[in-house]
Amino acid sequence: MTLTMTLGLLAALAQTQAEGTDTTLAVRAGTRLEVHNLSGDIIVRTWDRNSVRVQAEHSSRDRVEIGYGGVVLKISASSRRGAPRGVDYILTVPAAMDLNLSGTYGDVSVDGSAGRINVESVQGDVTVRGGRSLVTLHSVGGDVRVGEVRGRLEASSTNGEVTVEDVEGEVYAETTNGDLMLRDIRSDNVSATTVNGDIVYRGTVSDNGQYRLSTHNGDVTVTVPTGTNATVAVSTFSGDFESDFPVTLSGPRQGKRFNFTIGTGKATLELESFQGSIRLVRP
Amino acid sequence: MTDHWTHRLSEYLDDELSATERLQIEEHLGACSACRQTLEELRAVVARAGSLEDGTPERDLWPGVAERIGAARPEVAQAVGSRWRRLRLTLTVPQLAAAALALMAVSAGSVWLAKPRRPIMQQAAVPPAAGAVITGSPVAMVEGAYQSAVRDLERVLALGRGRLDTATVRVLEQNLRIIDAAIAESQRALVADPASPYLNAHLANTMRRKLELLRQASRLVAART
Repeated sequence: MTLTMTLGLLAALAQTQAEGTDTTLAVRAGTRLEVHNLSGDIIVRTWDRNSVRVQAEHSSRDRVEIGYGGVVLKISASSRRGAPRGVDYILTVPAAMDLNLSGTYGDVSVDGSAGRINVESVQGDVTVRGGRSLVTLHSVGGDVRVGEVRGRLEASSTNGEVTVEDVEGEVYAETTNGDLMLRDIRSDNVSATTVNGDIVYRGTVSDNGQYRLSTHNGDVTVTVPTGTNATVAVSTFSGDFESDFPVTLSGPRQGKRFNFTIGTGKATLELESFQGSIRLVRP
Repeated sequence: MTDHWTHRLSEYLDDELSATERLQIEEHLGACSACRQTLEELRAVVARAGSLEDGTPERDLWPGVAERIGAARPEVAQAVGSRWRRLRLTLTVPQLAAAALALMAVSAGSVWLAKPRRPIMQQAAVPPAAGAVITGSPVAMVEGAYQSAVRDLERVLALGRGRLDTATVRVLEQNLRIIDAAIAESQRALVADPASPYLNAHLANTMRRKLELLRQASRLVAART
């Protein structure tokens, strides 16, 4: 394996050109891609070939290192003097390849993946279309946008907005300072929490499903599909509650905390806003 | 609002009542909306707890938690089946919320550095829940452990902030201020209504959020070391 990795590394280095790299490596099915980029963007596209094309723009003093031992394809950059100035990658990978991407100063985007995805960025935005089984996305200072996931999704930011569209599977969305926009969600388990931002949920409310949307300083707006069966728990300290349709409380109202039932009440819908409005709307 | 059966709901949920008691509580549930509401919330707690990863602590953490929240060792009933021994833990909802925060605070020191990273959402242990008897603010009872953990993590961040770029430090500090403001507002609300299950759970969640952000900041420092 060591020999294979060394040969792979040497082959890649041999094709490295001044101010740019463009090389393609054959990979086995099941290979995982790992990219760490200190500065610069990472763009991942997919194709139906069992190979990975690495295109990178970088300064002449930097070089792209590619290591492959048959299981993990690792891509990183180094410099003859100090840290690399910055590398912008365009990677074309097999659609089913699992991806583990991290960056510090730069955006990360993935388009058309059918594999597991893990992305972490410190100062950049994260944009993902696709992903199966488990998709985990996080940015400290940037926004997270994700769509077309089939599987469990964990999308979080610290200081950005999280936008989730067209997802089938469990959804966990979180930010501290930003809005959470969840649209076209097909899930029986959704958790969305922010401290300073609005939450919008439009998706299924499945019988026996659990949905929890919570913000401290912001509004919560839920589109309730016709035919929904849910027990709704509303909690707020100084906020308001509005509904497009009449509701009848099913228990004692304790301050601004109360429950009511829609249909047979099979799903659990917990809606919390410390000081914002909670709204139920019809599609 | 509470009554005799409120205290037996977790036993009912765990199927630990006699047949007679079960019939009685079901009859009571038919007439008492408050107990029905509490039962549903307990079910939500159990369901969410069931989705968490199991982890075996290196030592028995309960004595420390109990000391902070002023609780006796929880009732542990052993039901011996043909093959399985089942351990039952009967806690009130506010005890659960306080214990969760205390456990997180206990683990928020240097221990976390050695642990594999998990997504933020999975680390939030017990969810907010409500409905049981509260005689004070459980979150306030674990304040000491929480503050200690926050101080430890803030020390790590202070020592390592020079390794982070100014933009990242600015983002972290801005968000810590946002969380601190939310904590302060929740605490003020609790002064007026210390028994509110929602406010207790909300405060606990917001405090957990601060611990998470400090942990995240410390991870960034460690990554740049």
